[in-house]
Amino acid sequence: MTELKKLLLGLMLFGAVTYFGGGGAFASFSAETSNNGSSVASGTLTMSDSVNGGSGCLTVTTSNNVNPACAAALSLTNVAPGAFGGVGTVAIQNTGSLDASKLSFWASSVNATLNGPLTAGVAVGALTVSGLEGTVASGDTITVTYGTNSDTFVANGAGASASNGDTSIPVVSHAPVSPYAIGATVTDTSSNAGASNTDCYDVKTTVGVGSSTKGTDLSFNPIAGNPLCAKMLIYVQEITGGKNYCWLGNGVGTAMCTAPISVNLSAPLSTGSPITSLPVTSLNGNVKSGDSIVVSSGSNTQTFTVAPSSNAYYNATSITVNSQTPNFAYPTTSTVTDFSTLGTLNSDASDTLTNFDTVHGAGGLIFTAPLLGNGSIDTNAPVQLGHSGSGSDTRTFVVGLYMPAPTGQNQNPLQGLKSTFGITWHIDQ
Amino acid sequence: MAYRPVIGARTFRRVRAGSGRTSSTWRAKQILATLIVVGSLSSLTVGGTFALLNSQESNALSFVSSGTLTFGNVVNAGTSCFSYGAGSTANVNSACDALFTSATQNYPGVPVTAKVTITNNGSLDASDLSVYMPSCTNTVTPGAPAPGGGDPCAAGGAELYIQETNSSGSPQTCWFLGSSPCPFATSSLNLFSANASTPATALDLGAGPAAGKSRYFIIGMELPSNASNTLQGQAAQFGLTWHITS
Repeated sequence: MTELKKLLLGLMLFGAVTYFGGGGAFASFSAETSNNGSSVASGTLTMSDSVNGGSGCLTVTTSNNVNPACAAALSLTNVAPGAFGGVGTVAIQNTGSLDASKLSFWASSVNATLNGPLTAGVAVGALTVSGLEGTVASGDTITVTYGTNSDTFVANGAGASASNGDTSIPVVSHAPVSPYAIGATVTDTSSNAGASNTDCYDVKTTVGVGSSTKGTDLSFNPIAGNPLCAKMLIYVQEITGGKNYCWLGNGVGTAMCTAPISVNLSAPLSTGSPITSLPVTSLNGNVKSGDSIVVSSGSNTQTFTVAPSSNAYYNATSITVNSQTPNFAYPTTSTVTDFSTLGTLNSDASDTLTNFDTVHGAGGLIFTAPLLGNGSIDTNAPVQLGHSGSGSDTRTFVVGLYMPAPTGQNQNPLQGLKSTFGITWHIDQ
Repeated sequence: MAYRPVIGARTFRRVRAGSGRTSSTWRAKQILATLIVVGSLSSLTVGGTFALLNSQESNALSFVSSGTLTFGNVVNAGTSCFSYGAGSTANVNSACDALFTSATQNYPGVPVTAKVTITNNGSLDASDLSVYMPSCTNTVTPGAPAPGGGDPCAAGGAELYIQETNSSGSPQTCWFLGSSPCPFATSSLNLFSANASTPATALDLGAGPAAGKSRYFIIGMELPSNASNTLQGQAAQFGLTWHITS
């Protein structure tokens, strides 16, 4: 018998004696406590996305805490070069019980929704989809996801293009491991690698304003290469709690994006004496110190200069200007335009939707550290979006677009086009 | 029974002797070492599979669409000639109807007019409308038996005006040349062709038309009442180019 066997035998004997005979050896007095019913519960990390104060788009309603179909951040029509485009306000809220250490956003990948079910083990050579956003290039990796199931395909042939209205993505024949129902998420994880397979895509407009001409009436506005995506400027300005920071666009990394305004006077101006402040309706952009502000009413115009150290941010209701006497009794219908901002943006060829896709796709996340003040962020903050009810569970961003009017460049080829794109927001524990 | 532990002790001692470890700490070290290995493997190889919680949403299908800036040009009661229509290139149509033709003989002091309607059928307002005359060329009237050799495009030649009206034809603004209603002014064709011959020097007709709206013009031409015989059988060949910007 080995030493080990002897040892085990000894232990068995000791156990048996203890079990059968040892019980009576306990004292007749005894005491005992039990902490029963202990439990551990995991927290939640979920989010809501609300556009322009609308109802929140929730992740908890989805099968995998990912909601790819929230409201469009912007829906702008009839945009003209050199004129104010439009903005949308996106409020991102942590609706879970856990803090999010990271809040990031990026340009959505080319995506669609499965419109024809897939059967496990049955090979297919094409994915039937709806709502395709962007251009799938041949060879791209296509991921189909539903709940915790995921399968990968490889785009084949000519790929697929939302510009062409494609509803099918040809793929190399592949049998998915799992079944996928209609509504499964289809993502081109190879997209946004270049202008040829961006999420942003162009089509010609098919509806005019009233009986006006529309894109499909015109022959000088080809969509090849997504030219409007390549020209439209995008900016993302955070305005949480009255603090401002430009996360994307002209002015990135500073307190204010170069964001145009289109507002009116909120009170008339009188010609009697100098003024140092322009009362305006809530700003839908930013005004920088030194900018030239033009007030117009009919044929009357006057240029004011924004006073030193007098930046005016989104939602401000006045603009501090150098002292000047109005040359006309401008009524409240007068328009107020920041020509300095327009001038800057008109020569900007970098902050485009196309570049947003190619530079800030899923591989170029923009992490949004909390704001300490205008233009100041806390890069070391352990929490970027606090848990629900924490007082820091919501952050608000303004997404804006502007169609530049470069000096001396005819923009006719951009008439009657429509660019479609997406933005993805993400939080991590 | 007393002997067995001695054997066991020897065995353990052999191990101890070979390893240099005490029996009481050796097992603990083995266990700890195992835990270290498991912990290390967990840290190094399993870390990636821990599912940190996350959540994600996309604002899909945001869009921006550009407007259109196009217009139609109708001469008198003719058909619309669109900037983007047949014969056009890149929203420029150089094939619209002529205002006047040589089939109409002009006589000194007898005016001829043409009505031009500019209709913005795009979706964007025009912030500006302008008109210019790329050239004015002196030619011989087709079939003229004895051309005089003069130049109606030159100073002292034909006279031109551009009068804006309302939709009923009532004069509103005289854009060229003089006060409304426009008079015929000496050498006005020459003046216009010389001073408004390019987009940069075009005559500014102000803002509009707004999207869906029209503006109405009357173009007047006349040979001066005191025209000399040198203008007999001569023709001024010119065009007017209308231009709108957003």
